Formats: sequence, structure tokens, C-alpha cells
Amino acid sequence: MGEVKVRALNGVTLTIDEGDFFIITGRNGSGKSTLLHQLGLLDRPDRGMITLQNKNVLKISEKQRSALRLRELGYIFQEYALVAELTALENVMLPAMMLEPSRVCRPRAKDSLEKVGLKDKVNNLPRQLSGGEQQKVAIARALINNPSVLFADEPTANLDSIAAKEILGVFKALNEHDNHTIVMITHEQDETHYANRLINLADGRIS
Amino acid sequence: MRYEARIPFFLIARHLVRGSKWQLVLIIFLMSIAFINLVFITSLFNGIIKSSNDQIIDTSTGDVYITPNEGHDFIEDSGSTVGSIEDTSGVKAASARMLVPANMKFENKKGNFMTFAIDPENEKEVTIISKKMVSGSYLDADDTDSIILGRQIAGGPDVENISSFKTAKVGDKVTLSFDSIKHEFMIKGIFDTNYIETDYRAFITQKALKKIAPHYNDKATSIAIKIDNKGEEKKIVSRLKDKDLGLSIYPWQDMAGMMKSVEKSFISIDVLLGLVGGMIAAVTIFIVIYIDISNKRQQIGILRAIGIKPYLIRTVYVLQSTFYSVCGVILGTGIFFAVLVPYFKAHPFVLPLGDAILIVNYPDFVLRAEIVIWVAIISGLIPAIFVTRMPMLDEILGK
Repeated sequence: MGEVKVRALNGVTLTIDEGDFFIITGRNGSGKSTLLHQLGLLDRPDRGMITLQNKNVLKISEKQRSALRLRELGYIFQEYALVAELTALENVMLPAMMLEPSRVCRPRAKDSLEKVGLKDKVNNLPRQLSGGEQQKVAIARALINNPSVLFADEPTANLDSIAAKEILGVFKALNEHDNHTIVMITHEQDETHYANRLINLADGRIS
Repeated sequence: MRYEARIPFFLIARHLVRGSKWQLVLIIFLMSIAFINLVFITSLFNGIIKSSNDQIIDTSTGDVYITPNEGHDFIEDSGSTVGSIEDTSGVKAASARMLVPANMKFENKKGNFMTFAIDPENEKEVTIISKKMVSGSYLDADDTDSIILGRQIAGGPDVENISSFKTAKVGDKVTLSFDSIKHEFMIKGIFDTNYIETDYRAFITQKALKKIAPHYNDKATSIAIKIDNKGEEKKIVSRLKDKDLGLSIYPWQDMAGMMKSVEKSFISIDVLLGLVGGMIAAVTIFIVIYIDISNKRQQIGILRAIGIKPYLIRTVYVLQSTFYSVCGVILGTGIFFAVLVPYFKAHPFVLPLGDAILIVNYPDFVLRAEIVIWVAIISGLIPAIFVTRMPMLDEILGK
């Protein structure tokens, strides 16, 4: 049996403006994660074009994509994705350490953690934090290099309702107060009211 | 670029401090065993070679060995020749030996054992036979009816030599027969040098030989020489040759014919075992690092996703492998010198060639340490390259 080629995304055209809180919904297999991975430069589409700040990011090298992920894009995964052996502060500092000296990135990481309400947990290891707190650390890490866009892949999927609400509150605050552009995937219908723009994907198309 | 170089050090330091201590200890222990495996056999072979060489020197040839020139059976005027040799700068002592072509008889058993007539005092200065008496005592210069036997001739509970006398002991009589001469000697002592070739020998005094066979007086078939400084054998040989003694003069190495071929065989075996040991170390280290990296695939994917460059991630694993291997070498060196070397010094391997301990050839030891470290670095780098070239999403999603 050979491999079956599946067209995960088909004819999806969209523009995300600066300051948008853009939510993508859809059933499992609708192509929403694939879209987020493409937009977040974690994967390359076979065809098409993705433009970031008027630059076609599909035509640049892996090295340049890596630099863009570092400076311009923040990514929040469903499963927190923290480095187990680093404290909350060190996890947050890590991307900044690529660009700045410690005397700059350490206070910035503290600010970032304060912004997500984890001022008192800077020295905790991920295993010493709850799921919601770990996700907040991941948000703080995504924010550290002041990216143009934050991508969040079902960030509340593994959280209880209280923690999920807190996380969404953080996103809302980042969007409204700091004008961060946020692109988020969710399954939950009651989370869509946070968005100022919403699309639903079905079978790889915007429905 | 300026700042990113510290990322691998930052990550590795946190990994070592906060990672599983048991895993760390086990990996380092494994590395140390891989290293010990590489150095142990070499050191043992070095020990066997050194031990047997020392045995040859200390119980048989001395540092320099003299024989009659080709076509001559004896060294004539051996007394004055020994005097002349001892006057040579760098020579500590010399002992002339006359090999008596005798047949030895004890009770109803006979054997052709090499029997030498010696000056006991001179021999004491050159070889250690006098210190290896396990029964009775060594010869005195005035002994004319006494003989000392090697343990392989006298026999004993743990002597397996079928031609030995088996039960000969101090005070018993043996008869030497040669050139239609027969003379009875009393066994004055039995020596055991643990060097089988020497332990097949017997010694009487020159005075005894002069008494029973005057025609051998002042003759010798060989002279063994002890020198002041080891390693200067060739220099002393050259000085002695300059004296034009009319004799064949050799450094001990030229007389160690069998040991030379044994040494060559050991070197070949050692190279082969070194290659096999190196491969085992490489595969072991590779598996350890590969499992470690495989367990961290998702983390590696996340690091890549947040913009950490792949070369930095690879550097983490190279540093990690280097750390493991350097610690393994240090621990292995500690175990080797603090445990194995003293243990085998106290309980040497008892071989027919002599007691073997572990002897380290330091340049070789350092080379093997370098091999372990480089093998570890390469074994860490290969899976790290492999993993950082995988599709990032496969790593993150654990596909």
C-alpha cells in the first residue's frame, strides 16, 4: 500500500492584521493545526504563499525561518512544552538569551512572568507548577522577544475551566493592552467570543 | 551570535545539576568501564612483558650478556675478564658462569639439567637467585660439595614438571656425572624465582668444579653483567666492545628471543582487542546518547520551534558526551590507579614467565583516554545531527 496524499488545506486565503485576536475553529482533521503550523513557520506547504510583513516566508532559508521564529513569532503549544530542567524564569529567558546579554534578558523574563501573573513562581521548575501555570510560563516565553504574532495551538485543551479562563484572560489582556496579534486554535465554542476575527475550517477550506 | 554561544553551556549546566543523578552516575560509570576495558588488557600485557623481561634480567642474563666468540667453547681467563669488565664505567657487577655438561641423578631418577659453576658472591651481585631460596640456604664461596637446585628440578606439591625429582629436599644427595667424572653433592638449598627457565637450573661453586674437574678452572661459558643505570645497556655494550675482549657482547634484549616473539604477539593481540574494545565503547556510548536524545526529541523540537538554532542543540549533545566521557575517563583512571593497580600489585597474576602486575604506558594510556573522548563526541554528534534534521513537527508531535 502506498502513501495516500491528503490535501489538508485547500484554497485558504486570509489576512491577519496587526492587533487582531484571530481564532480558528473546526472539527478534528479540518486542517486548523496544519494552517497554524504553516503560519507559525513550523512546516512548509507544498504550494501557496505566506507573507509576513510583505516578505514571502516560503522563499527564505531554514536559517532565516529560524531567526523569524525567534524574533517575530511566538508559539504556544497545547502541551506547555517547557524544558523540564529549567526554572520558569530560565524557560522564559531562553529565547532572549539568543539575542541579549543576561543582564537584559533576566529582568525582561521577570517582567514577562509578572505579566502572566507568575511573579512568585520564577524559580519553580515545571514539575512544581500546575498545568495552567505551565501554560502561562509558555506564554511568557513566547512573549519574551516581543514578537509580532503569537500563535496558540489549543492552549487551554489540557486545562480545567478556571485555568482555561485565566489563560484566555491573559491573551485578552495582551491583545487589548499591548496590542499583540494573536492567532489561536480552539475547539471550545465559548472561547470564540474573545476573538475580533473568527474563521471556521472544514475539510481544509474556510467555511 | 555573540550571545547564543552560551546557550549550550547554559542548557548542559542545568541538565547536569537538575537532571537525574542516577542516570548521570550510571552513564559516567559505563564510560569509565569502557575506558578501563581499553587500558586494562594493555597494562596487563605490559606487566607480563615487563615481568618476564625483569625475570630474564634478574635471574638469568643480567643487563648485558657475554658469550665466547663463534668457534670457541669457553671464555678463557674468566677471572681476569670479569675484573676487566667490572672496571668498565657503568658496570656494577659481573658474574662468570661455567655450564657443566652434567647428568644429574637423585635416588633412581636421572635428568639433564643445566648446572652452572659460579662465584656465589659475584652471582649475588648480578642476579636475585640468592634472595629466592625457599628452602635451605644459598651457596658460600668455599662450598665444594654443595649444590642448590631450582624448584622445577627438586619438585614439590605444586610442581607439575614430570622430569623433576619430585621429592628432593635440603640435605639429600644428588650425583653429577660428566666427562667420566662422578661427584656427589648435598642439596644445600632450593630456590624458586617463579621464572620457569631459571628454576630448571642448578648451581655449584667454581671452587667445587675446580676440585672435581680442574681442566675447567678459570673457564666460563657466559658472563652476566649488571649495570648501574637501566636503559644504558647499549652504551655499556659499546664500551665493552671498545675493550676488545675478543668475546661476543649483547644487551639482554638480544638474548630474550622467545620473549621478543611473545611481545610481538601481545602487541598484535592488544591492537586487536583495542579495536574491539574501541568499537564496543563506541557502540555503547552511541546507544546511551541515542536513547537520551530519542527521549528528548520533543524537547529538541520545541527548542527548534522557539528559534534555537540546530547547531546549538547539536553542541549541547556534543558537550554532554564530552562531559560524560571526560568524567568517565577520570573515574576510570581513579578506579584503575586506586583499586586495580594496587590490587594486582598485592595479588599479581602468577604466570610461568613471572608474576604479572599492571604496568601503565602513559602515552598509550593518554591515547586511549583520547580515543574514548573522541568516540563519545562522535557518538553524541551523529544522533544529534540526525535528530535536528528531522522534520520539526514530527519531533514536537512525537511522530
